[in-house]
Amino acid sequence: MKRRTLLLSGLGAAGALVVGWGVLPPRSRQGGVDTLPTVDGEFGLNGWIKIAADGSVLLAMNRSEMGQGVHTALAMLVAEELDVALTQVHLIPAGHDRLYGNVAMFVSSLPLHPTETEPGHESGVARSGQWVVAKVARELGINATGGSSSVVDAWDVLRLAAATARAQLLGAASLTWKQPAGELSVKDGVVSHPSGSSAHYGQLAQMAAATPSGTVRVKTAAEWKLIGTAAPRIDLVAKTDGSAVFGIDVRPPGLLYAAIRHCPMIGGSVGALEVAATARLPGVERVIRLGNYAGSTAALAVVGRTWWHARRGADALVVEWQQRPAGGLDSRAILDALAHSAKDADANGGGFVFHSRGNVGAAAAKTPRSVEQLYRAPYLAHATMEPINCTARVDAGKVEVWAPTQVPGMARALAAEVAGVPLDDVTVHVTYLGGGFGRRLDVDFVGQAVRIALECGGRPVQLVWSREEDLTHDFYRPAGAAVLRASLGDDGLPVTLQITSAGDAITPRWIERGIPNLAGPVDTPDKTASEGLFDQLYGIPNQRIAHVATRSGVPVGYWRSVGHSHNAFFSEGFIDELAYEAKQDPVAYRLALLKDAPRHHAVLLLAAQRSGWPGYGTTQMLAPGRARGVALHESFGSIVAEVVEASIEAGVPRVHRVVCAADVGTVVNPGIVAQQLESAVIFALSAALYGRIDIDGGIVKQTNFPNYLVVRLADSPRVETHLVASTRSPGGVGEIGTPPLAPALANALFALTGKRLRELPLAL
Amino acid sequence: MEIVVNGAPRVLADELAEPQMPLLWALRELLGLTGTKFGCGVAACGACTVHVDGRAVRSCVTSLEAVRGKRIVTIEALGSAEHPHALQRAWVEHQVPQCGYCQSGMLMAAAALLAINRTPSDADIDAAITNICRCGTYPRIRAAIRTAAKALSAGGSSA
Repeated sequence: MKRRTLLLSGLGAAGALVVGWGVLPPRSRQGGVDTLPTVDGEFGLNGWIKIAADGSVLLAMNRSEMGQGVHTALAMLVAEELDVALTQVHLIPAGHDRLYGNVAMFVSSLPLHPTETEPGHESGVARSGQWVVAKVARELGINATGGSSSVVDAWDVLRLAAATARAQLLGAASLTWKQPAGELSVKDGVVSHPSGSSAHYGQLAQMAAATPSGTVRVKTAAEWKLIGTAAPRIDLVAKTDGSAVFGIDVRPPGLLYAAIRHCPMIGGSVGALEVAATARLPGVERVIRLGNYAGSTAALAVVGRTWWHARRGADALVVEWQQRPAGGLDSRAILDALAHSAKDADANGGGFVFHSRGNVGAAAAKTPRSVEQLYRAPYLAHATMEPINCTARVDAGKVEVWAPTQVPGMARALAAEVAGVPLDDVTVHVTYLGGGFGRRLDVDFVGQAVRIALECGGRPVQLVWSREEDLTHDFYRPAGAAVLRASLGDDGLPVTLQITSAGDAITPRWIERGIPNLAGPVDTPDKTASEGLFDQLYGIPNQRIAHVATRSGVPVGYWRSVGHSHNAFFSEGFIDELAYEAKQDPVAYRLALLKDAPRHHAVLLLAAQRSGWPGYGTTQMLAPGRARGVALHESFGSIVAEVVEASIEAGVPRVHRVVCAADVGTVVNPGIVAQQLESAVIFALSAALYGRIDIDGGIVKQTNFPNYLVVRLADSPRVETHLVASTRSPGGVGEIGTPPLAPALANALFALTGKRLRELPLAL
Repeated sequence: MEIVVNGAPRVLADELAEPQMPLLWALRELLGLTGTKFGCGVAACGACTVHVDGRAVRSCVTSLEAVRGKRIVTIEALGSAEHPHALQRAWVEHQVPQCGYCQSGMLMAAAALLAINRTPSDADIDAAITNICRCGTYPRIRAAIRTAAKALSAGGSSA
């Protein structure tokens, strides 16, 4: 048995251990009406949908809105099937039931090659692995917004829930009017019959709740009225008048505020402490020592009447901070060690093999023309615009938490543990998130806030981190290094591809700190480490793609597009090098390798055509001093190609235009897809040009926006989006535009300067 | 202490509203005007932008003392539900916000620009909008400012 097959069976066994033997019964994801409490006048039809007295549809929203448009996209699925206007769908918070867990995100964490998961042509290993993980994920019911999985996860579930509700409502009308259901029609939530009978959903809901749905089918694509349209987002008016409530905006009565100072050395602790100066300051209530919560570094919190008073108090603390016992972290030494690990494993056949085919050694021996390069990427911070914060109240054994979080269930579990109360005594309210990008998949700040609230005599307290604390105590995108090696045949195309990367695993560390009861069974090779390397679809007959998982000690987490964020830079920079070595056009070279990958081929071709790449449709002349670069990358089930037009101004790269082509499967809302691609491009541009976190003696050197630079309006390129029509199920959207940007830009800079940049950020 | 916010005099509790307290925290935590956001605390990101006597000001580094007797306008009074500012309409038309956190500051910075320049060039927009958005809404912000400028030039009111 291959190591990877062993891994998958291990996951299945581990899953069964976690949720108990004899489990894995068929379990619907529709839920019962008891999952969704109702108040007077409302009637629940399943675990997702209630009907209000006025006929409006109440949708249990289980996903966090952090800018990606998920509230709108999921509401559209329901509005479509129920034949109501989008404005008739109102969101209510989903509770903590396991029904609201994310299945798709966990299924997609399996290290499967795309050729094994092609719908209808899954390999046996893929099918059984996905089946087991889906079952386990349904039983665990971990609610997470991440991995670009929300629409993927909801696609079948919510449409079926809404279609079933619609069938019940029509059934009720049919029984009431004694007319065949087939003769009824629905518009904007009003059911009518040609005889003149008519009623809105609110008038039918009570009877519908007791009416069987009969056979239900969801609409075909030809029947869609809303899906596929650029419907306006439902959250945007509140985001233009200041009324949208983010975590930092909640104001429960009697609110206190807390500022925090972590030990500046990551993983260090608090030694001698002098609080007298702080205690003398007006507006300061108390000082609290904080231990380690879900991966946080030890800290001191100061509670005050306003956050300004609290922070002034925190600044006045006189503290002897203590280095962690293992010594101060040093990012330069870690990056050197990663490069060494990658080279060593490359030379010795080491690392965990995520993908292999053919015989690399034998084929390479016969093909003398070879290219080998080392690529590197630094640590990165998330820097969400809304600083890290959480509000908590612990009163009479009950805990209430208001949090901008991507994982409300994990937040709840940690809150219960810190407060020492049963899970049922904790309520978590999810607010709007002022950016997530993966940072809010961690719950360290929730543990801290609850710990502080325990000292506040039943009053609520809002913990807000300063920007300095945010940048210096993040869960960083791991640094990485990779040795890439290829041998080229007589036609210049690669015959072998060997990639050996090294870097910290994310998922096992995240599970250890956030879901500790799963930590043992799931400490398996982490797909995120090799994603974007092992799962490429270029037709290269001999491949060995391996990863060396390290443990640097730096807290690492998920950062928009995760492993793809740096691995695409490695793989798409390297393929460009091969094209240059072969003296071939970078687009033509890639297309020649995509004969068996028609979706990728179509996406790249579209990007070439729309960008005016010479040789593909109408060539667009570039202004003097500009050049183009291209990159193509699949992530989260979608494929994106980007063509970057860049120049160098005063020695600094400047990006003028980015043409994106994408195949995201079925498009729910093309307006949101375009928005997300623009977003991902600019997010990635910040990282490509400026992004780096340096650690010296355990202390992060970048402290605020003046020294953790990000792109501003004046530096922003024009971004165009072109979508390939598709009838496949939806793929991910929120992260997919991030990976291709850095390599496309590096490739454009090579075209301009002849200098190949193999390290991020890109420095000329 | 008394300050004038959105056209109304507001009394701040003296024991909390010290003269050197930044306006941002008085707005958010003493007056409950949470539309103005905290982003960096060092005037680098612009999430806290408000108008003081019609000019865009970063309230995280502007003391209460410095704004006494001046007219302070926050996002809550940029327009109203019935009469949104031309920029707020353009923001929705262009579907600008994503997470939305920086947008109050963006709108206030843009409104201060259009108040003195109804036909801003790209360079004018670049110079006036130095706020940070991590969602990358910049291209749409530029487009929305142009749309709003046209609407205002065509004879619309400023609010």
